[in-house]
Amino acid sequence: MENQRTVRRTVGDGLRIAVRALVYAVLGGAALLALATVASVLGPVLALDLYTPPVAAWWTVFTAVTVQGVPFLLLGTVVSAAIGAFVPERVFRRLLPRNQALAVPVAGAAGVVLPGCECASVPVAGSLMRRGVAPAAALAFLLSAPAINPVVLVATSVAFPGQPEMVLGRLLASLATAVVMGWLWARFGREKWLRLPERRTGPTGSGLGAFGTFGAGLQHDFLHAGGFLVLGAAAAATFAVVVPRSVLDLFTGSAWLSVLLLALLAVVLCVCSEADAFVAASLSGFSPTARLAFMVVGPMVDLKLIALQTGTFGRAFAVRFSSVTWVVAVLSSVLVGWWLL
Amino acid sequence: MRRYGPSLLLLFVGAAILRISLFGELYLRYVKEGLRPYLIVSGVALVLLGLVMAVVRRTAHGEGGHGPGDEADDEHGHSHARSPRVAWLLTLPAVALLLFPPPALGSYSAEREAARQAARGVGGFPALPAGDPVELTVAEFGSRAVYDSGRSLEGRTVRLTGFVTHGDDGTWYVTRLSVTCCAADATAGKAEVRGAPDGAPHGAPPVDTWITVTGTWHPKGTLGTDSAWPPVLDAARVERVREPADPYEQR
Repeated sequence: MENQRTVRRTVGDGLRIAVRALVYAVLGGAALLALATVASVLGPVLALDLYTPPVAAWWTVFTAVTVQGVPFLLLGTVVSAAIGAFVPERVFRRLLPRNQALAVPVAGAAGVVLPGCECASVPVAGSLMRRGVAPAAALAFLLSAPAINPVVLVATSVAFPGQPEMVLGRLLASLATAVVMGWLWARFGREKWLRLPERRTGPTGSGLGAFGTFGAGLQHDFLHAGGFLVLGAAAAATFAVVVPRSVLDLFTGSAWLSVLLLALLAVVLCVCSEADAFVAASLSGFSPTARLAFMVVGPMVDLKLIALQTGTFGRAFAVRFSSVTWVVAVLSSVLVGWWLL
Repeated sequence: MRRYGPSLLLLFVGAAILRISLFGELYLRYVKEGLRPYLIVSGVALVLLGLVMAVVRRTAHGEGGHGPGDEADDEHGHSHARSPRVAWLLTLPAVALLLFPPPALGSYSAEREAARQAARGVGGFPALPAGDPVELTVAEFGSRAVYDSGRSLEGRTVRLTGFVTHGDDGTWYVTRLSVTCCAADATAGKAEVRGAPDGAPHGAPPVDTWITVTGTWHPKGTLGTDSAWPPVLDAARVERVREPADPYEQR
């Protein structure tokens, strides 16, 4: 009796699955066939018409920014997932001063240790906050890490041979911006702007073990940030194709306008922080201060970073933080430029 | 799909990265040469991570436990195990790289770039390497022509490789883009080609043709000023060549 019922139920289940599979196959097959027909007829025509030089350049810049960002993003997410899975909170409590006003400059200076460009620092800052580091300190680290690490400083000195004041200026202006932003956040920042992704699975008790947690965190962070990297790359490619570089020549005359213009250019170009010194060096018509502003703003605010920050911390945060950072970065490069250059 | 979506995405992105870096030299169209080992490492890591996580999820599921793959959305509206929706955007560059790798930047970008000479003061340069003709990058030729107080180009036969761009009233240039990190930071260098090289038909080759030009420097203008730019090459020979594996000059 029992057996018969089980058999009947199994047969019923099997039938239902078979029917469902058949329906899916027919529907899916028909849709696929329609798509393939339309694509094979229209595709070549459309592709030839649309594949003009600007479109080809768009695709190249778009893939280039994405490909270039992937290794650094992976490095950042590996560090961030490792912090999440293996480093207990008390380590950071012991390392950083209790006092926020002191912790900010310490975290800012600690940016020296993460060699990489800006894609890496966003996930790391996120995981630091999750591990109980004060947001103000984590944000100072986020801003300073891509700007003052040794790789970037060496690249800057190679791009500006015989001008060590440019390297010093970059270091000072970037560090100052990072620390000021940290303090501003400690004083005026609101927790509700920051939408931190909570990790429910801690280092223990997730059923996956530490390595499973590490893998799951890595997978999620990389995919999430990667999606936003693609968004940023698309924005950068669009600007590269739509705005001609010759527009710049209109503004070289005025010292003030040229600073603002290069600071805006840094936002839309999304050049990685290891390369921006060379681009700055090639902008020969501009004053040293304007070029310094380009190098200070670039690693802290650009379209790719705004997209990544939106993904990690939420839009309310990214908009406020990026716009204030831009203003502070411009001010600090003007001050340092006036003093040093 | 819900459980294996993230792993599939990782495999996909990893495969695309490996295709251009490990199984070919296409990566040179997008990034500098020095990034290759990092690309290969990250490609392998992504593929491995995708496979391992698929296995981990499978075993966690099979044991009847609730792995993170089965959690519902958390309070922030996205789950940590299912791939976030924005991640599917990664398929766009991955498909492009796997099926239709975009071409290297060419004359279109070079012309929008308003070619600039690398900024530096007039001064001495190290001696040119031996060799006749001596192979130079377009950028090096340009900076020596405009800034070298020692005039090291004088009396030397040089050979430049680049693609053709056209100027106004029949002038034409051998042009090459330089890349520091990725194609987004490309800057253009160029040299005007003059003279009717023997064997070649008169007039300029079509835009974007890759050529090797052999010739001598034709001094013009005052050193270090805009009048010396762009430099001029009196061509003795112009040969069509294949696009080099590395379409850009490395700085």
